Amino acid sequence: MVKKGQVKIQQMAFMLIALTIFFVLVGLVVLVFTFSGVTDAATELNERNAMLLVSKLSNSPEFACGDSFGNNKLACVDFDKVMALNINIDQYENFWGVSNIEIRKLSSSGRNTLCTQGNYPNCDIIRLRDKDLAGFDSSNFVSLCHKEKFEDTFYDKCELAKLMISYEVANAN
Amino acid sequence: MSFSWLFGIIIGAAILFLAIYAVTTMIGNEEELQGAKTSKEIGILLSPLETGFESSKSSSFTMPVETRIYNSCNDFGTFGRQLISVSQKNLGKWTETDLEVGFSNKYIFSSREVEGKKFFIFSKPFLFPYKVSDLIYMTSSEKNYCFISAPEEIGEELENLNQENLFNDQDNFPEECIKICFSGDCDIKVDLVREKVEKEDQTFYFSGEALMYAAIFGDKPTYECTLKRLMLRTQELANLYDKKARLVQSNNCNSNLELISFSNKLDLIENSEDLNTVIPDMEDLQNKNEAAICKLW
Repeated sequence: MVKKGQVKIQQMAFMLIALTIFFVLVGLVVLVFTFSGVTDAATELNERNAMLLVSKLSNSPEFACGDSFGNNKLACVDFDKVMALNINIDQYENFWGVSNIEIRKLSSSGRNTLCTQGNYPNCDIIRLRDKDLAGFDSSNFVSLCHKEKFEDTFYDKCELAKLMISYEVANAN
Repeated sequence: MSFSWLFGIIIGAAILFLAIYAVTTMIGNEEELQGAKTSKEIGILLSPLETGFESSKSSSFTMPVETRIYNSCNDFGTFGRQLISVSQKNLGKWTETDLEVGFSNKYIFSSREVEGKKFFIFSKPFLFPYKVSDLIYMTSSEKNYCFISAPEEIGEELENLNQENLFNDQDNFPEECIKICFSGDCDIKVDLVREKVEKEDQTFYFSGEALMYAAIFGDKPTYECTLKRLMLRTQELANLYDKKARLVQSNNCNSNLELISFSNKLDLIENSEDLNTVIPDMEDLQNKNEAAICKLW
């Protein structure tokens, strides 16, 4: 016959197991809550980074026209330099902390041809990473300039373009 | 005391201990996360300091509590990284921090540890001979810098910056001030002819005003490491301009700049003392680019 004391110990053991499970569950809920906060914060920071970066990226030396097309121009992207950057883009992995950068001519034929060494400068889109823009994006208008030859003289050809930066939503996994 | 009581007390104590341990760990993690988030935010806030036409740009930010910003750097990989971590005062104690947030596209010069609530930042483009990046100088409002007998150009720039902790007018110098002299002897000595800055028995060599400010506001290890990072980016840009030159050349517009040889020489720079080995090539590139029909930069 089971003694009264043994029953009490059994009851306490069950109680303690239940209590431990309860604390573990509470801990898990807190962890999930904390990590969702972290991923939200990371996404928000990515968004803010993209927003601030897009307004200044055209002044960065890898994109800026500098004095190549007359006096220093603001919000001017050097088409020749960006094509050179496109060849070298592997060196710039994670440099700007965004997932992709794309420049799209607005005066394009509507064919949306991706720029390659073969069709440059008669193309519409320069995509620095070999993948579509994913996640969210921020954009800014820029002038896209390059040198063109007419008979024996060179002239600066500038077209209106949209500079787009995409960032991915932070994933807790 | 019965066994059931003893058993209950031991297990209860164990559960309590685990709960307290879990809560303490979580608070610690939360503080570290907060520090990392703040570090990242600081880095992101520096993006608008990218200059366009301007020769310099100034800004400031204020933290809600006393904050220590740790600035360091590594030169691994293609561009190296600027590392920022933040420790904040919480109930009279500084939070411990191990989480460093890295930025490949930022070049920040400051002392290893900057403490305060309000921080001033100003930036200046570094040209070598093309624009390499904007250098960012970070100081705390708790430290004042007094420029003594600065050349007119530098004096004007300091006045235009209008930064509260930078003083150029001797009549308005505060009592506590880090003195920066362009001639004579004081805390920080700037020799514009030999292009060197001397402070705390250490010599920093520079080229151009942007690096001069970097030497004034930065500490030696961060200055040397960030300079190395700048040279890495200069090298990468030289390769980029070389590729651009080939593209432009296909249009019969030659620029004839020896960018690859310049890039190779940059690779040999180990510290600021070696800077003068590439200055002639840098000036030669600048002159040739100025004269070219199709300018590369």
